[in-house]
Amino acid sequence: VTLSLRRLRQLDDRYHFLREAAPDLDERCRFTFSAKDNICAAGMEATAGSRILSGYRPPFDATAVRRLREAGGALVGKTNMDEFGFGTFCTNSGFGVPLNPYDTERSCGGSSGGAGAAACLIPDHVAVGVSTGGSIACPASFCGVFGFTPTYGRVSRYGLIDYGNSLDKIGVLSRSCAQTEEAFLAIAGKDERDPTSQAQPPLPAGGRPVRSVAVPVEALQGLSAEVAGAFDGGLARLMGMGADVTEVSMPSLKYAMPAYYVLATTEASTNLARYCGMRWGAREEDVNQGFNDFFSAPRSKEFGAEAKRRVLLGTYCRMVGFRDKYYMKALAVRKMIIAQYEEVFARHDVIATPTMPFVAPRFDDVRAMTPLQNYSADFLTIPPNLAGLPHLSMPCAYAPLPVGLQMTAPHWDEMTLLAFGKEWENGFDFRWPEVEA
Amino acid sequence: MKIGLEMHFQLPTRSKLFCSCPTSSSEPNTAVCETCLGFPGSRPFLNRQAMEMGLVIAKYFRCRIPERTWFSRKTYFYPDLPKNFQITQYEAPIGSDGEYMLDDRRVSIWRVHIEEDPGRIKRVGRSGEEVSLVDYDRSGVPLVEIVTGPDLASPEEARRMVDELLLELRHLVGIQAQDEQVVRCDCNISMGEERVEIKNVQGLRNMERALKAEAQRQEKLLAAGKAVVRETRRYDEERKITMPSREKEAEDDYGYIGEPDLGEFHAAAIAARLCVKETPLLRAQRISRQTGLDVVKARQIVVTSWSLSALFERLCAEIGPEKAAQWTMGPLSSQWAALEGTEDDIVAVLRLDADGTITDAEARRRIAALAGQEVQDADEGEERHELDVLVSRFLDSHPEVVRDYRANPRSANAVIGHVMKEGKGRFHSKEVAEAVRKGIEGRL
Repeated sequence: VTLSLRRLRQLDDRYHFLREAAPDLDERCRFTFSAKDNICAAGMEATAGSRILSGYRPPFDATAVRRLREAGGALVGKTNMDEFGFGTFCTNSGFGVPLNPYDTERSCGGSSGGAGAAACLIPDHVAVGVSTGGSIACPASFCGVFGFTPTYGRVSRYGLIDYGNSLDKIGVLSRSCAQTEEAFLAIAGKDERDPTSQAQPPLPAGGRPVRSVAVPVEALQGLSAEVAGAFDGGLARLMGMGADVTEVSMPSLKYAMPAYYVLATTEASTNLARYCGMRWGAREEDVNQGFNDFFSAPRSKEFGAEAKRRVLLGTYCRMVGFRDKYYMKALAVRKMIIAQYEEVFARHDVIATPTMPFVAPRFDDVRAMTPLQNYSADFLTIPPNLAGLPHLSMPCAYAPLPVGLQMTAPHWDEMTLLAFGKEWENGFDFRWPEVEA
Repeated sequence: MKIGLEMHFQLPTRSKLFCSCPTSSSEPNTAVCETCLGFPGSRPFLNRQAMEMGLVIAKYFRCRIPERTWFSRKTYFYPDLPKNFQITQYEAPIGSDGEYMLDDRRVSIWRVHIEEDPGRIKRVGRSGEEVSLVDYDRSGVPLVEIVTGPDLASPEEARRMVDELLLELRHLVGIQAQDEQVVRCDCNISMGEERVEIKNVQGLRNMERALKAEAQRQEKLLAAGKAVVRETRRYDEERKITMPSREKEAEDDYGYIGEPDLGEFHAAAIAARLCVKETPLLRAQRISRQTGLDVVKARQIVVTSWSLSALFERLCAEIGPEKAAQWTMGPLSSQWAALEGTEDDIVAVLRLDADGTITDAEARRRIAALAGQEVQDADEGEERHELDVLVSRFLDSHPEVVRDYRANPRSANAVIGHVMKEGKGRFHSKEVAEAVRKGIEGRL
């Protein structure tokens, strides 16, 4: 292990990707890893990027953290993120904004932005991230690293501070796909502390060969010129590796985004209910008031604007009179989209799209976006996330900023993606950003 | 009057519904963990035993049990609720469309579901300076909620139903019924068109009182030509009246969504593996069916004691249902506390009685002895005297019997028949025959 805590602090001073560094680093460890700030590690602050959780130090390790420690990993710190995972550019954290290692005036992507930067900046590092609607793939794309999101239910969520429980998936970002695979194998598997991890079939020993790649035409609309060009180059390389590329139509994907935002915000609005200053969240001084007022004060003060927006949206979607129209309908749409994926997977091994429609944006461009433009930026990462499908974002070109190619496989077929990713990185011309010593 | 109840009983599991904390504790806030305190990052996992108990109860009510069941989040803000949502069941309760027979009245059971209890708030301190303390030991304790249709006709009937259910559920799943406070009820009552819900009434007695108070209130309103407003009220135990609840109507919107962390359960398949133990009521119904004994009497026997009803079934086989019922509901039930454990001896005594080896009076005396009581001979003497009186009264009015006796001793049969009838089975035929012989021979 080449990383020292001194080096880590130097990097963080420049790129602000950490929330908290570990107090010490065991140099005999096999590898270093970081955890997104919504993943609990015993004794370290876990705020999920929210000021309302300032000072929360859980007394337990998340299962993923425990398993990586058992595999010989040393936790070096907690990485910054959009508050509770609510964002695409990591500009919604209550604790500053991580800077893109390729260009510090640009975003790392979100919501696992700190993890994207850590994976890019630290060689041989495993950055554990979490994806609800694309929060691993997006920063992987913007930071030029591999970003792997397993099937929903493959990795225990015990110890994860919830955003949308039916969508949240713990995964891995890293410079290397081989290391990504190793870390994934360590954290995957059933866990009695997370019932949703118990339905999974065992991992197969290896992946299937990727012979037939489907490209949904719907994914090719609204791409920036750099991304469109880079993606074409990526497909050419795919074909060079012996795969057939076929355009397919997946018309129901257009409903993925509204369905996702309904489900994610609905679940989030219940998850965030506990942060009211009673047991969780900064406590009001004045206890001689009605509990509604007592609860409202810290929520008003400590939640960021995006968190408030999503709590309001989500609460609205589950109110009597709107519930059937939004929440129940979104559940049905999710099933419909899964069915559409299954149709495509009956004839093709994987689906390929660009990961993001543009390269890492400048912060001033991010500030100029409306919430709807902001949400729309996720239109390529949301569908596999809504369907709970495993997907891998791989660096595919530099324009000159990194562009990601996203590959999606059927449920539980992680090994096909990882086997392909290892083939892909073999001979790929990585360009790591120059970082001052 | 229409009354419907939403009853909550604690399921007697050792650990909580979604974590492994114990369900009882001696000090406040000691039976808690990250899950039942709602620590960010913690997660629930289901206590299978609670699910099974709930399913047994659903089966008992002959509910429809769904193939798949799941949990829901009921979101509301309250200081005793660590997550500010309660994990309960909404669209897919473990049981629906069941029924309960309260004597011959059918009470429909709309639904049976399981859910977690919130914590407990305690007000402490002097009046005017009170503070609220929260004890989270109760947070996550498993409850079963049973919802009836509006099929109960009076507060007394409602109370009787809950009272019976306590006994039934104690036998069925071991619910602790000693403390009548164990039940918490939301009571719906309507004297006319609109119904009023009295929320969160603790205990059987309070439930009946609350319903009576509310019935009176509604009656007065209706008598005065005023309308009953549909609303939620609460029962003030001190003042013994119902009052409008402080919570606003809008708070009834709990924004239910599915609980994504627990997954789905194959309720019907789990239920198929579970058997419903015989409860007092079910036993009474079976006894009534098998012996022809009136179901109300059968229930009396079963409710007196579980072991008495077992003895009754043995006696039915030995001496027939009619006699078994006479003995069981008479001398056996009145002394059962002392007799319990001597079943074999009782059966032996009553077998002798049935085949005529001993008299009823003798059998009674022996049973009393089993109960550890000496019976005064006076009792027996009195009976014998009564028998003699009956015989001589008959002989006085029928001198022809004595006259015919020398030629035809069978003329005595008329006397025996009459006395047996008069004695209504109190005297044994051998006793009567002996008394008649003596009576006639004394007049010859």
